[in-house]
Amino acid sequence: MNKVMRLVSIQFWAMFADILSFKSNKLKKSKIIYAGLVLFALFLGAMSFFYCFAIGSSLKMFDSIDILPPMMMAVTCLIVIVTTMNKVKGTIFGFKDYDMVMALPVSTSGIVASRLILLYAFNMVFVFIVMIPMMIAYGVLAKPSISFYLISSLLLFFIPLIPIIVASILGTAIAYAASKFRHSNLINVVVSFAFLIGFMVISTTTGDTEAELAKVSEMLIKKVNGIYPLASLYTKAVCEFDRKALLFFLAISVLVFLLFSFAIGKVFKKLNTSIVTSQARANYKMQKLKQATPIKALYIKELKRYFSSSVYVLNTGFGVVILTIGVIALCFIDLDKIIGEPQALAMISKSAPVMISFCAIMCCTTMASISLEGRSLWIIKSMPISAKQIFLAKIAVNLTIVFPVVIDSIILCFILKTGYLDSLFMILFPIACTVYVAVFGLLINLKLPNFTWTTETVVVKQSAATMIVVFTSMFIVGLPMIMIAIMPTVQPAYLLGGYTALLILVTIGLYHSLMKWGADRFAKL
Amino acid sequence: MLKIENFSKSYKGGKKAVDSLSLEINKGDIYGFIGHNGAGKTTTIRAIVGVLDFEEGEIWIDGISIRKDPVACKKRTAYIPDNPDLYEHLTGIGYLNFIGDIFEVNKFDRETLIEKYADAFELTSNLGDPISSYSHGMKQKLTVIAALIHRPKLLVLDEPFVGLDPKAAHTLKTIMTELCEGGSAIFFSTHVLEVAEKLCNKIAIIKGGKLVTCGLTGDVKGNQSLEDVFMELIEA
Repeated sequence: MNKVMRLVSIQFWAMFADILSFKSNKLKKSKIIYAGLVLFALFLGAMSFFYCFAIGSSLKMFDSIDILPPMMMAVTCLIVIVTTMNKVKGTIFGFKDYDMVMALPVSTSGIVASRLILLYAFNMVFVFIVMIPMMIAYGVLAKPSISFYLISSLLLFFIPLIPIIVASILGTAIAYAASKFRHSNLINVVVSFAFLIGFMVISTTTGDTEAELAKVSEMLIKKVNGIYPLASLYTKAVCEFDRKALLFFLAISVLVFLLFSFAIGKVFKKLNTSIVTSQARANYKMQKLKQATPIKALYIKELKRYFSSSVYVLNTGFGVVILTIGVIALCFIDLDKIIGEPQALAMISKSAPVMISFCAIMCCTTMASISLEGRSLWIIKSMPISAKQIFLAKIAVNLTIVFPVVIDSIILCFILKTGYLDSLFMILFPIACTVYVAVFGLLINLKLPNFTWTTETVVVKQSAATMIVVFTSMFIVGLPMIMIAIMPTVQPAYLLGGYTALLILVTIGLYHSLMKWGADRFAKL
Repeated sequence: MLKIENFSKSYKGGKKAVDSLSLEINKGDIYGFIGHNGAGKTTTIRAIVGVLDFEEGEIWIDGISIRKDPVACKKRTAYIPDNPDLYEHLTGIGYLNFIGDIFEVNKFDRETLIEKYADAFELTSNLGDPISSYSHGMKQKLTVIAALIHRPKLLVLDEPFVGLDPKAAHTLKTIMTELCEGGSAIFFSTHVLEVAEKLCNKIAIIKGGKLVTCGLTGDVKGNQSLEDVFMELIEA
């Protein structure tokens, strides 16, 4: 056990250093990043509290406040499953230091357990962010006894165990099935997208109007209890202080976790080999080769790099995919009939540019594209190409990935029957946001690169560069909505027009900075 | 072909990895660069090929400054690093074709040279497979082929024989000799002193970032073996 915990500790700090992109001699920078991270966690916690409090208040009106803890527990479990599923390849299997770790005198089950504990440690962040605000909100609304706080605090640490196992099984199954195909990453992406979209469709078909909330929640809890029996044990333990349920919950969670570690330990090497081994045919015969210009070759190489990483595609392409599916669905839906009131339709039209831009701005591929060069950075650095060409190729890939958004915007203009001016900004604002984030993402990644990552997940999802770009982008795209809300007398199209012009000017400034400062910085990497 | 003038490189903390290094490599030279671990070989090589930025000194390739016109210098240079970290998502042929595109190698030369060198290194049948399926040695062979297909005037190699099987190492040595006979220059680091002794017409020995000796192989080693000379200089 000591060896496992030592392994966890080394891997945890290595990953944490990767996430924050700091080295030991950059203490000042790491302190700033630490502070930013704490502030960000507090912000998410506050958001979670308001969400829990709003739901709890509605539930209280229907005398169903006891639904809140299991409901949020189910939400936590789903978050853990969805976010962990695509981390399986890279964390449990196919991690870069596999050879070194496997050569250590630690049992295979111990190594599997160390990787699972690593996943557990990162998932605890989600658990704290969702469940602690829930406990406070429930405490304010239901005024439970001290036992509630004691039991729910204890159970916090056991909530993610089974979801991690479920996600690991799903992730392993997807990665294993995909490995049987030559284009395994593409299969991985398609299956993962199908799973996530299916999950979203199921969760949105329940309806969520306030009047139906209690009924829907009860139904949801029944459903969750049916699918996930531990949820009912959780409800009984936390709300009814049932000791037997509490013990069962703890015992089942720990036992399943240990059993899974042990079982995977038995087949770990075999599974790892299957998942990470590429399909090789060794039957190539020289053929005619296609020629391309250097810039086109760079662009194609970047595009192939993008689609070679399932975690990269899933995290940066989701907004575009979901928007496109939504727009296709809207083509077959009578919006007037569903929404009813024409005012509501007008509201949707007004907020549509921001919604579309949100989907576009979340698809920033450049924020990780420098880091993803990893140890092969020497290739582009030793090639007879300028930094400008490299940057343009990376930006072009970002624009290509987001291009369907432009088509979506045009279709939405027809569906929502927007006027000329509104249509203009429905198309122009997302484009401005996309170009801005592509340039800004690259600048931030040049400032905070990480070439020594052990899994792509770290740079794509958890790096300091990614966090800065994602959250500043949310602010950039959300600002017009705030402006429209606080200036109701000004035409939204004028506000959006002015804001778009400002964003274009900012982007031009950032582009110049990229070509000057960015090129110098790239030379020093 | 390659001129290094007072090149110095310090890392954070002020430690000089390379201190006022000056060397000149002419057309037709196979120049061996020898030193113990951490002597500054890789730092020098990375600066020559434009991977590492530097502030002190100057490096000229074919009369062009790497600091002033890096793209023109890189067009004339090929680099083989000590660790073949390649684009794992590409196939072998995809990578070679990419290199061909970047160096603007014409279609005929590209196809002819890929076939020639892939056959020589017995890698042709694997070129259609993803690089992720390659062994270390196969990646090393692919890096060598990629370096050769644009007919570099200067070939810079960092420990090129590590990971190559004896036959591939022999093939590489033959190609290096042919390349120099054709007017190119080769600068490479190695720990295999026997290879350096047999292959190189010139040798430079570096210790603690400073050049200890350089010149014609015969002049450097005199009547001794290169290993004896190296040990004497390093332990002095």
